[in-house]
Amino acid sequence: MTKFDAEWARAEETRRKWLAENGMYSEAEEHSSCGVGLVVSIDGTPSRKVVEAGIEALKAVWHRGAVDADGKTGDGAGIHVQIPVPFFYDQIRRTGHEPRQDQLVAVGQVFLPRTQFGAQEACRTIVETEVLRMGHTIYGWRHVPVDVTCLGEKANATRPEIEQILISNAKDIDEETFERELYVIRRRIEKAVIASGIAGFYIASLSCRSIIYKGMMLAEQVAVFYPDLMDERFKSAFAIYHQRYSTNTFPQWWLAQPFRMLAHNGEINTLKGNINWMKSHEIRMASASFGDHADDIKPIIPGGSSDSAALDAVFEVLVRAGRSAPMAKTMLVPESWSKQAKELPQAWRDMYSYCNSVMEPWDGPAALAMTDGRWVCAGLDRNGLRPMRYVVTGDGLVIAGSEAGMVPIDEATVREKGALGPGQMLAVDMKKGLLFHDREIKDKLAAALPFGEWVGRINELDEKLAVVTEKPMFTGAELRRRQIAAGYTIEELEQILAPMAEDGKEAIASMGDDTPSAVLSKTYRPLSHFFRQNFSQVTNPPIDSLREYRVMSLKTRFGNLKNVLDEDSSQTEILVLDSPFVGNAQWDELLPQFNAELGVIDCTFAPGKGALQAGLERIRAEAEDAVRSGAGHLVLTDQGVSEERIGMPMILATSAVHGHLTRKGLRTFTSLNVRSAECIDPHYFAVLIGAGATVVNAYLAEDSIADRIGRGLIDGSLTEAVARYRNAIDQGLLKIMSKMGISVISSYRGGLNFEAVGLSRAMCAEYFPGLISRISGIGVSGIQTKLEQVHARGFASGQRDILPIGGFYKARKTGESHAWGAQNMHLLQTACNTASHELWKRYSAAMQANPPIHLRDLLAIKPIGEPVPIGEVESVTAIRKRFVTPGMSLGALSPEAHKTLNVAMNRIGAKSDSGEGGEDPAHFTPEPNGDNPSAKIKQVASGRFGVTAEYLNHCEELEIKVAQGAKPGEGGQLPGMKVTDLIARLRHSTKGVTLISPPPHHDIYSIEDLAQLIYDLKQINPACKVTVKLVAQSGVGTIAAGVAKAKADVILISGHNGGTGASPATSIKYAGLPWEMGLTEAHQVLSMNQLRERITLRTDGGLRTGRDIVMAAMMGAEEYGIGTAALIAMGCIMVRQCQSNTCPVGVCTQDESLRAKFTGNADKVVNLITFYAQEVREVLAGIGARSLDEVIGRADLLTQVSRGAAHLDDLDLNPMLITVDGTATLALDRNRERNEVPDTLDAEIVRDAARFLNDGEKMQLHYAVQNTHRTVGTRVSSHIVRNFGMRNALQPNHLTVKLTGSAGQSLGAFAAPGLKLEVSGDANDYVGKGLSGGTIVVRPSMMSPLEASENTIIGNTVLYGATDGYLFAAGRAGERFGVRNSGAKVVIEGCGSNGCEYMTGGVAVILGSIGANFGAGMTGGMAYLHDPEGTSAELMNLETLVICPVAEGHWMGQLEELIERHAAETGSLKAQTLLQHWDREKHNFVQVVPKEMLDKLQYPVAVERAAVPAE
Amino acid sequence: MAKQPMLKFVTVARDMPEKRDADQRNKDFHEIYAEYADAKAREQAARCSQCGVPYCQSHCPLHNNIPDWLRLTAEGRLKEAYELSQATNTFPEICGRICPQDRLCEGNCVIELSGHGTVTIGSVEKYITDTAWEEGWVDVPAPREERPESVGIIGAGPGGLAAADVLRRAGVQVTIYDRYDRAGGLLTYGIPGFKLEKDVVMRRIGQLEEGGVTFEMNCDVGGDVSFADLRARHDAALIATGVYKSRDLGGPGSGAAGIVRAIDYLTASNRVSFGDRVPEFESGELNAGGKRVVVIGGGDTAMDCVRTAVRQGATSVKCLYRRDRANMPGSQREVQNAEEEGVEFVWLSAPKGFAGDPVSAVKVQKMRLGAPDATGRQSPEEIEGADYDEPADLVIKALGFEPEALPALWDEPALEVTRWGTVRAEFETGRTAMPGVYAVGDIVRGASLVVWAIRDGRDAASAVLEDMSKTQAVAAE
Repeated sequence: MTKFDAEWARAEETRRKWLAENGMYSEAEEHSSCGVGLVVSIDGTPSRKVVEAGIEALKAVWHRGAVDADGKTGDGAGIHVQIPVPFFYDQIRRTGHEPRQDQLVAVGQVFLPRTQFGAQEACRTIVETEVLRMGHTIYGWRHVPVDVTCLGEKANATRPEIEQILISNAKDIDEETFERELYVIRRRIEKAVIASGIAGFYIASLSCRSIIYKGMMLAEQVAVFYPDLMDERFKSAFAIYHQRYSTNTFPQWWLAQPFRMLAHNGEINTLKGNINWMKSHEIRMASASFGDHADDIKPIIPGGSSDSAALDAVFEVLVRAGRSAPMAKTMLVPESWSKQAKELPQAWRDMYSYCNSVMEPWDGPAALAMTDGRWVCAGLDRNGLRPMRYVVTGDGLVIAGSEAGMVPIDEATVREKGALGPGQMLAVDMKKGLLFHDREIKDKLAAALPFGEWVGRINELDEKLAVVTEKPMFTGAELRRRQIAAGYTIEELEQILAPMAEDGKEAIASMGDDTPSAVLSKTYRPLSHFFRQNFSQVTNPPIDSLREYRVMSLKTRFGNLKNVLDEDSSQTEILVLDSPFVGNAQWDELLPQFNAELGVIDCTFAPGKGALQAGLERIRAEAEDAVRSGAGHLVLTDQGVSEERIGMPMILATSAVHGHLTRKGLRTFTSLNVRSAECIDPHYFAVLIGAGATVVNAYLAEDSIADRIGRGLIDGSLTEAVARYRNAIDQGLLKIMSKMGISVISSYRGGLNFEAVGLSRAMCAEYFPGLISRISGIGVSGIQTKLEQVHARGFASGQRDILPIGGFYKARKTGESHAWGAQNMHLLQTACNTASHELWKRYSAAMQANPPIHLRDLLAIKPIGEPVPIGEVESVTAIRKRFVTPGMSLGALSPEAHKTLNVAMNRIGAKSDSGEGGEDPAHFTPEPNGDNPSAKIKQVASGRFGVTAEYLNHCEELEIKVAQGAKPGEGGQLPGMKVTDLIARLRHSTKGVTLISPPPHHDIYSIEDLAQLIYDLKQINPACKVTVKLVAQSGVGTIAAGVAKAKADVILISGHNGGTGASPATSIKYAGLPWEMGLTEAHQVLSMNQLRERITLRTDGGLRTGRDIVMAAMMGAEEYGIGTAALIAMGCIMVRQCQSNTCPVGVCTQDESLRAKFTGNADKVVNLITFYAQEVREVLAGIGARSLDEVIGRADLLTQVSRGAAHLDDLDLNPMLITVDGTATLALDRNRERNEVPDTLDAEIVRDAARFLNDGEKMQLHYAVQNTHRTVGTRVSSHIVRNFGMRNALQPNHLTVKLTGSAGQSLGAFAAPGLKLEVSGDANDYVGKGLSGGTIVVRPSMMSPLEASENTIIGNTVLYGATDGYLFAAGRAGERFGVRNSGAKVVIEGCGSNGCEYMTGGVAVILGSIGANFGAGMTGGMAYLHDPEGTSAELMNLETLVICPVAEGHWMGQLEELIERHAAETGSLKAQTLLQHWDREKHNFVQVVPKEMLDKLQYPVAVERAAVPAE
Repeated sequence: MAKQPMLKFVTVARDMPEKRDADQRNKDFHEIYAEYADAKAREQAARCSQCGVPYCQSHCPLHNNIPDWLRLTAEGRLKEAYELSQATNTFPEICGRICPQDRLCEGNCVIELSGHGTVTIGSVEKYITDTAWEEGWVDVPAPREERPESVGIIGAGPGGLAAADVLRRAGVQVTIYDRYDRAGGLLTYGIPGFKLEKDVVMRRIGQLEEGGVTFEMNCDVGGDVSFADLRARHDAALIATGVYKSRDLGGPGSGAAGIVRAIDYLTASNRVSFGDRVPEFESGELNAGGKRVVVIGGGDTAMDCVRTAVRQGATSVKCLYRRDRANMPGSQREVQNAEEEGVEFVWLSAPKGFAGDPVSAVKVQKMRLGAPDATGRQSPEEIEGADYDEPADLVIKALGFEPEALPALWDEPALEVTRWGTVRAEFETGRTAMPGVYAVGDIVRGASLVVWAIRDGRDAASAVLEDMSKTQAVAAE
């Protein structure tokens, strides 16, 4: 301990706190994820074997965790086992007591502050006092032996004193009661310690049943650190274990898992909403179970809890109140039930319906291992986003966990191998010695209570509301006045509202947002504009709300939620709607349905000093009074607007009331029904609901639609138009929720899952509790001023009744400012065309003369010293190398534009990015004139189009695009009309067929998955660096820290201004943050964690001048992306019609005749980057710096300046400008070596295959394999591609690698032609990821007694993005099999949900049952399903598909041939049987064909003509 | 259901309204373009690309919301299109006819710049408003409530009328003083009927009158009424006199008979079209009939003169300009129209003097363009020895206009003018250094476009209103 000691820990903690208060960092944004699992003996017999298996398993998941910068401090690991009573009896004897064997013994595992002896003693006293107070006796304390040599320095510095308190059940109460009392004791202790202000105290467990050993060591060191675990007396019937991967590198021992009841892999996306609702629930959760102790257990969720800890806390209360672990899981993390493809049994539906009426789901990726002492179970979230494989062994153990093969088992006696599907559970009742599979346990739970009876009282309102006839509230001049007063514009009505009412869809737009943040704007901006939507990146996946809609729900329940812990029908006297959208007439119909009194609150105010503030206080008081006097439903409305009265922003009103009622514990007694004039678009709806609204009536929007109908502009009735509008809003809400991975609106409601830019911190604290607002700005009085102005426009006399034209989406002279104006673009283009630096200077000056648009426009640069001669500043050439043209795909860009960028950037030694969509292999050889048209950076995006082994080897850098600035958290779509021959060839798809990029990478659902993908990429390309592209948001710093620990080399922080080829208009506008905020946060947090020097930081999103570049450098960026400006240099003039394929200048179109209009060339782009570089030099010289390196990270050189407007001076940008202590001496080096990853089995294979690789000799190699051998076959494939090319002449089995055992993740990723991998055993997730022509065979061990087709042999997300090759697996695959396959041919014997999603090519033959949502978004390729029962159709998502019997001839031949080959390769019994009875069985196959392919197939399929949709 | 009616430039070519054949139109003073048929207007409007940055609007002095009313037109929502168009432009049908669109909106249209041929913005604009007139949508500028304040406007040209419109709608009492007998300024007497038929102007003036604007015609400020009196009569005065002093040409023989000023020539012709008796026309002094006509100058006034001369029956019409076609200030479209009608352009030619009295020829000096200066503009230089006589019976000097000396004329030395003689006024508000006095249009800018005058008039009217409400607020306190 030379460098770190206890002082360090304290100093570090202080430093973090300071940064959280003053900088951009927030502790609340820390994320973690991990590997998790359990081992349980079905008959409940404790044994040494179970404990040892748990320890073994921890050693086999090390790669799912991360290591700190010190190389030894793990992110945390632990194990939860039963109390080995004999072991502890011996310990008791050593304390000098004789254990009272007739009484239960309880053990508390306690962390005490290690170095403060006074505090330690105080803690012990508190513990003892509370135990005695409850009437139990104490044997004594035991100092837990630990071996600190295995700890890293940081872990050791923060290590607590670990002791056990041994307690006897002196009251001789039963086990259940004892446990409950121990729980109350623990909660009392926790509160008492908090009250005494002692830090560093934590009770890992306090139970008479089980005990938890955990800490900040690496997973494999848990048993080393705690020698107890190695003691022969240490036996248990179960072990739950966990390895943590955290973005947080400050060692916090207590955050290691398992927690008291569960261990969790994943992330709870709805945490904020859940915690808010728990504040309301807990007040009434004073169940009989706790009686007088009710107050002791509150708050149920301790402050500072991680998502997993919070979930554990609630889970524990439910269990302590008498729910079993499986029931608690069902209540908290239910499966999706309302829209299942195959309707669930009625009893289940009743049970879930009951659960839905008492508890909001805790939603997000979750693999859970849980126990309540009697039950041990494993379960998954509704989306099945984390893997959970299990085996049942011959000797009666169930082993479940994130990976298969974590515990060696006897293959010869194994009874079952499986994988849990979405929402599924596996439960062991140790008391009865029974194993329950998913169906069995749910049947049991559903039958246990009369759910059906209870839910009979749920009043489903939709039918009643469906029959009403919609009518407007306001028309004519009154409507017009109200529209103007509500800030409506023609643009909003025409471009946003009208498309929703006409098409039922949101309008699509393109290019980036170049307007000011709402707080910087001079014009009136609705309050919703200050809210930025949260979105998922890296630590959890967004959901595809279009293709995976079945897991999502907008079911809205009203009213009185009663006590969560009650189990009776009183909870279900509730009203339910299918959507929170309510039309005007529906509203009138809804009110009489309410089953309780109604309170109506007028949300308007008369102007005057402080009137809005007073008004907010008034509505809060009125709401409280109403609820206290029995109102079960509240209406908040601004319809009372008049000449004298101004409407409050309903977002503010709703949140004020919701927050107030929550604080008073009254929120669950009422529903909040909101009528808002201002509300038009899905974003506004989302903010209202996030602020707590139960339902929303956008009456003025509806009136505006009625007005349009009155003018004959919309066909049909208002009722129909409103139905379409509702549909668009519903879709929009689902999109907004899915963006951050939330599936159910009840968990989204009240969660304020947004962040604010420029709302005053004081206002947020008062009216938007929990909302992050890093940059403080406008407050209540400022809002009031703006409201008065806009109100006057509508109601003051003498005003013309014409709506403002708008200008927010597209520039208009009288509307919002846009950075890119005609004049600026013209200057830039002329400068680039004529290489005139003079014109560039005029351009730059014009840009800086714009009104403030970006946060940096409020900053000025301070000099370091006296100006230096410009000749002394580093050269243009040196500076230009730091520039990048960010990922813009061929598909969005025309081939001409795409290539021009590559050529230009290569000429100056800078880098271009291929974007998603592959690159023409012709680019891999130089042009005749010497130009290199190949992009130096190749992008790996969620669609994986054209991502082949060859593509991945032709670059210096691989960029994983996690999110895109213009639409973070959303996928994309390339419409068929843009898919030309060239694009189809590069993307391995068919001309004219739509291509879909999914919202998430299906191999990145959490941080350890990203680490795995980085590992894969570093295997396939032995030299390239890996970049991770993130979008600025609050918390991006902690994510960046996690990414750095995942061994990325470059992190790109993209600003929300980034462009897009097509995206819903509101996504462009309301998601993501300015890069200034994301970049400074990333720089600060990486610096704080000593990770900054490992990483090169890059930024993009609206860098328009050399001054912008210098500012970005000062905020921490070393490299700079220039997207839009580069397009403009090539001729783009911001027509913003990219989505329509009609770009008049040929930049962003595939239309031949328009492409002919392209006038760009490489010189113009070179000029552009040169101008930037030259201006950078001028700025540097001016401030006395000689190189960019001198100013990188020097945010202290920036200072906020006044732009002469009061509303701007209120903004506080200082959090962006602070410097983290001790980072003045950062050694940043863009040219350092890449962060290396450890070798895998391939190191050996490559050595052994020398003769194959060097001389092309045919070889066969054989190895044993285990799950820690990841990405096998990939490095070899890199050598194959580099030595022989990807279109080589090798035999398919030129190099055969035989493997025995459980292969790790990414088996055969990007495997190239010539390589054949044969596994005898099983394999984990991502088998054949990006398969590029190789062959993979997986079959069970020869001695396995299992029926292959009934058991899972390969994991989730198999063949993701495969482009070519074969896979034969004799067994079932997990979830998301064959997603985005575009060329591989595969035979398997069954698969989980979402099989063949987004597939665009290749052939999938599935010889067993499929999961739900098969073929969603599948637009190409072919699938054959063996379906003798004829049950597959209902499991398919037929939106893009047709199904038919297999056509004789070509298709039947293809099918039979593949099955024959499958039989030959794997020896599959199932295949052999099918072939034996082929004449009969061939009729049991279903052929699945994408609709768009029907007219493009060379051979006819057996689809009836009528089934082909008339196009 | 929502059809995407726009972005049709990809498949539909540019198509102007039909132009009458040159040998027909050169016989009368009626407009040369036919009206769009409804379907055609919709089709052409639908070619608009609905740009994110509307260059057309950026280059329109009035910042008309062009893409929006093009879309409404394409969707068949003409009334809304009209309302939107009228909201930013007092006289859209006039701008649609006489704006040099090829240098403004259409010349900067994105699809024009990228080689697809511009959207025919001017023709659509004209179509929209003409339809509005036919349909009776054009409303009288009458206020909801009257205000007590009054404003005196000097000059009934486009700037003054535009200001009057805005002020009147706000309820202000407006009196317009003009020294001519008809209102409209150059719209009435400057621009020939084949570009702008006179009833188009007159119906607008009629509406203003109906809306309560008082016109004091034949009233010469500085003569009939002093500027000081006028100021005293009103709460504010707005100077919109335009520039009427013709730039002259020196050289030997320049005083000869048969050499006339464009303004006189065009006014006479327009008066004749109104049916007035014009002695100078009858005497032949301002009539080109049967004469060889030479017009000197390259601006839009010169274009108006040559085309008027053709219509009056000149035996030949030549236009002399000292730069070349690419460097002329006038509209290229007008040059083309003139050429079609039989006008001959003699580029790179400057008059050195005149022969005869009455004039019989122009002495022409051939020019060449010198090296470009810093701004890229090439100055013409004389070519030694390259001169000749161009025979002419009527020479029309269209060399541009300059401001009259208002301070002297009005005996108002406090009225600040620039060294070019224009009134010094604040950009975008028209406020002069004299309290309550505003100035707009050519008298501020120097000779410029009608559309700029309209813009100025509207801007200054807004400033007047703003200043009035400030005064009101002060008075109330």
